[in-house]
Amino acid sequence: MMGQPALETAAETSPVMKVENLSVGVTGRAGIKPILADISFEVAPQSVLGIIGESGSGKTVLSRALVNWISPPLTITGGAVHYGGRDLLKLPQREVNALRGRELAYIGANPTSALDPTIPVGHQILEKLKAVSPGMDEATARERVIDTLDAVRIPSSKQRFDEYPFQFSGGMMQRALIVDALVSDPKLLIADNITQPLDVTVAAQILRLLRDLQQDFDTSIVFISSALGIVADIADDVLVLENGSIVEHQPVSALLRAPEHDYTRELIAKVPRIWQGAETPPAPSTGDIVLEVTDVARTYKVRDRNRLFAHKLVRAVRGVSFEVRKGENFGIIGESGCGKSTLSRLLSCLEAPDAGHIRFEGTDIATLKGKPLLELRRRFQLLLQDPYNAIAAHMSIGRTIAEPLLIHGLASGRALREKVEAAMSEVGLSTELYDQLPVGLSAGQRQRVNIARALVLEPELLILDETLSSLDQVEQAKLLELFEAIQKRRGITYIYISHDLAMVRRVCARIAVMYLGRVVELSDNEPMFAEAAHPYTRALLSAVPTVEDKPYATSDYLLEGEPPDPIDIPAGCSFRTRCPFAFDRCKTEDPRLGADDGAGHAAACHLAIGEMPKPHANTAGGPDER
Amino acid sequence: MAFAIEFFLRRISQGLVIVLLVAFVIFTLLRIVPGDPMRIILGPMASQTTLEETAKELGLRDPMLIQFGRFVGEVATGDLGRSYIRGVQGGSTGGSQDADGFDPESRASVAGLIANALPYSLMLAGLGIAFALLVAVPIGIAAGLNAGRWPDKIGLYTSSLFVSLPNIWVGVVLIFLLSAKTGWLPAIGYRGFEYTIIPAIVLAVELSPVMIRAISVSVAQNLGETFYSVGLVRGISRRDMIGKHVLRNAAVPLMNLFGAQMIGMLLGGLFVVEYIFSYPGIGMLTINAVFQRDFPIIQAVAILASAALVIINMLVDFASTLIDRRLKF
Repeated sequence: MMGQPALETAAETSPVMKVENLSVGVTGRAGIKPILADISFEVAPQSVLGIIGESGSGKTVLSRALVNWISPPLTITGGAVHYGGRDLLKLPQREVNALRGRELAYIGANPTSALDPTIPVGHQILEKLKAVSPGMDEATARERVIDTLDAVRIPSSKQRFDEYPFQFSGGMMQRALIVDALVSDPKLLIADNITQPLDVTVAAQILRLLRDLQQDFDTSIVFISSALGIVADIADDVLVLENGSIVEHQPVSALLRAPEHDYTRELIAKVPRIWQGAETPPAPSTGDIVLEVTDVARTYKVRDRNRLFAHKLVRAVRGVSFEVRKGENFGIIGESGCGKSTLSRLLSCLEAPDAGHIRFEGTDIATLKGKPLLELRRRFQLLLQDPYNAIAAHMSIGRTIAEPLLIHGLASGRALREKVEAAMSEVGLSTELYDQLPVGLSAGQRQRVNIARALVLEPELLILDETLSSLDQVEQAKLLELFEAIQKRRGITYIYISHDLAMVRRVCARIAVMYLGRVVELSDNEPMFAEAAHPYTRALLSAVPTVEDKPYATSDYLLEGEPPDPIDIPAGCSFRTRCPFAFDRCKTEDPRLGADDGAGHAAACHLAIGEMPKPHANTAGGPDER
Repeated sequence: MAFAIEFFLRRISQGLVIVLLVAFVIFTLLRIVPGDPMRIILGPMASQTTLEETAKELGLRDPMLIQFGRFVGEVATGDLGRSYIRGVQGGSTGGSQDADGFDPESRASVAGLIANALPYSLMLAGLGIAFALLVAVPIGIAAGLNAGRWPDKIGLYTSSLFVSLPNIWVGVVLIFLLSAKTGWLPAIGYRGFEYTIIPAIVLAVELSPVMIRAISVSVAQNLGETFYSVGLVRGISRRDMIGKHVLRNAAVPLMNLFGAQMIGMLLGGLFVVEYIFSYPGIGMLTINAVFQRDFPIIQAVAILASAALVIINMLVDFASTLIDRRLKF
C-alpha cells in the first residue's frame, strides 16, 4: 500500500475507513466461488478514492461490502472493514443501520428506481433525514432538505420538493440522491458508478458538483466507476481492480503517466481516443442518395393534468433534414430527450411524420401501404438497443432468424435453412445453435441473432438505434468490425443513432448532432471533432470522459442545467438557455441549419466559428483538475 | 383539481354508455326468449282477447326499439316499472286472479322492491368483505414478506383449500355445525343482525383466496424493487420501509383486482348465498324473479349491477391515481 504514514499523529490524518484483507464469495452448488480476494486499502479524510475496474471485476460487490450490504448468495469470507475503530462486518445489524444513511452514505448507479415512485422526492429525503437524526423537528428538517437541494443546484427547489420521482430526469434524480446522501453530513460517501446512466454533459455537471460538495461538506468519497476518464477527472488516488483483486494503487496523475501493472496499461489503451490517434472512418461516400429526409416533424399529444380537456404538445422532432448516401455510415448523436429515438421510429416507418417527407430512393415512404410497404420494409431494417426483449424466448434461434423470410415469403424448406445458416455464420454464430432456444445466450450473441435476422432479408439500409450501447467495449468493437465487413461485402448503408461520441468518431463519415428535436450541426467526421461549429457540439465534446487532452476546455463549455422540456421550448434559439455565448439576437431569432460552407459543414448558430474560443491544438498537462 | 373533474366527467359519460348497452342487451334478450310474459301476468285462465288487449295496453306489442326507448325514459325519471307478479304487499300473486285484465297499480314497484332488499345485501356484502380482509390481509402480508418460508406456504395452502370448497357445500356444512348442531347462530331467513354472520362467512371463504394470492404476490414483488433495498441502505428501518412504502405500492394492484374481479365474484356469490340461506336480499329477489319470469325485476337488477360495477371501478381507478401519480386514465 502506498503512502502509509509511519506514525499516526493527529485525528485528521487517520483514515476514515480501513479495509483489511476483505474477501467475498458467492455460494453456489460447488461451494463458495471467490469474487473479491484480499482487498486492503484506506480512505484518507477529505479525499476522493477512485476504484476502477471492468464489468465483472467485483466493483459493485466491493462498494456494497463497504456498507455491509452483502446478501445471499453473496457471503463475506474474511477480512474486516474498520470504521471509527469498529469492524462494520461484525457489528450487530442494529448498529450498522444506525451508521448507514447517517455517517456512511451510499449512492448507486440506478437513480430512477432508488426511491418509492409514489411519494414526492423531497418527502422521501425528509423521511430519511428524520429517520437518521431523531429529535430533529419537522420544520428544521424540511428547511435543511431544501437548502441541500439548492446546494446541488436543483432549480426551484421548493417546488421540486413536492414533485414525484417520475417528474425528475435521470440527472436531476441523481442530484436528489446526492442530496439524500449529504443531507445528514456523512463522513464517507460511497458512489457506485453514479454517472453511468447519465448523458455526458449531465455527468460532467454531476462530477463537478461532487467535487465542490466534497469540499463544502468535508466528506470523503469512494468513487467507483468503469470509465477511466471519469475516475481520472475526480479522484485523488486510484485503485485498479482486476478479477476481484487490487492490482495497482497510485495517485491519479502517476497512474495515467506511468502505469505499473500490465492490466492498467491495457485499460488505459482501451479507452477510445477521439483526438490523438483516433481511428477514423473513410471519407464520406459520393454515391447516390439513398435516404432523403426533408423538414420532418413529429408532435405528440399528452393530457394536461391542470386544465380541463386540454393537451400539451410534445414537439419531439422539429424540422429535421439530411441526406444519406449509398454505402455511407451516417451518425445521429444527441442526449436523452433530443428526439433521436422518435426520429428512428419515423425513419423505419413505424410512425408517419406530421410534416415533411422521408424519401427512400426517391419514394416517399409515408405514401406506401400494403404490399409496397412490406417490400420497402424488407429493404431497410431496424436494430434496437435491448437484445433481450427483441427475441422471443420460446422460439428456436434458427426459427427466429427465419421468421422474416417466412413473412416475406422469400424462401422455404431446404433453401430457407441454408439462407439462415449462411446468415448465422456471417455474423459469427455457430450453426449448431440453429435448433436451440436463446436461453443461455449472452447479450453479444443475442445481438448477433438480431443482426442475422435483419441480414437474411439482404437489406440496403440498416438503422442502428443504440444497438451497441448495452454491450461492453470488447463486444462492441467486435460487432463494429462485423458491420464493417458486411458493409464491404454487401454495400449496405448504416445509420448509427447513438449518444456515444467515441463510437461515432470511429465509424461515421457524416454526423448530425441533435438538440431538442432539431439537427444543430451537420458535418463530416473530421471537421466536427477538430472545429465544431455549434456551441452544443463543443459542450458535448468537452464533456466526454477521456484520458487525452481535449481541444475544448470544460471550463469554456460546461453546460448548466438540463435541456428545456420539449413541451415548452424557448423562443428564439432553443439552445440559448444553456449556451455560454448567447446574446440578444438569440432570444428573438431562431437560427436555422444554414446552407453548408461548401465542405458540407453546417451549424444552426448565429455565431461564426471564429467568434468562439479557439480549440486548443494541444493543451499541456493532464485533464484539467479543478 | 382540473384533473379530477375531467376524470369524473369522462368516466361518468363512458359509464353511462356502458350501462345503456348492458340495459339494451338484457332488455332484448328477455324479450326474445320463448314464453309470453302475458301468460305469466294473467295466468292460464285468461282468454286470448284479454291477453291481446292487456299486451297492447302495456305496450308489449310495440316494436322493440320503441319499447326500449320508453323504458329508458322511465328509468331516467327514476321509475323502474312494476313487477308482473308481486303484489303491493310483496307476495307473489301467481296470476290466475287477474284473468279478466291487469291492473298495474296492484303490483309492487320494482324500485320499492329493490330498495327493500338492497340494505340487506349491502350489509351481507360488507360483512363478507370485512371477514375476507380480516383473514386475507394478515396471511397475505405475512406470506409476501416471507416468500418461500412457512408463512408463504400457509398462505398458499389456505388459499388452495378455500378456492376448492364449493360455496353451497360450505353453506350447508356451516349451517349444520354452527346452527343445527350447536345452536350458536341462526341461519335461515332474517330476523336480526346475527342472521348475517354465517352467510358472510361463506362469502368470505369464496373471496379470500384471490385476495391472499394477490396481496402476497404484490407485497413480495415490491420487496424485490430496488427502492426497498436502497431505502434500507439510506438508513430507513425495515419497519418503516414496509409500512410506509411497500404496502402503499402493493395497494395499487390490489385495488384494481378489487374493482375488476372481486365485485363480479361478490355479485355472483350473493345470489348463491342468499338463496341457500333464504336471505331476503337482492340475490333472492332476482332468483325468484328469474323463476317467475318477472322481467321488470330482472332487468332492473341487471342495470343496477352494471351501474355498480362502473361506479366502483371509477372510484378504484381514481384512488389508484391518487396513490400512484404515474397512472393515467
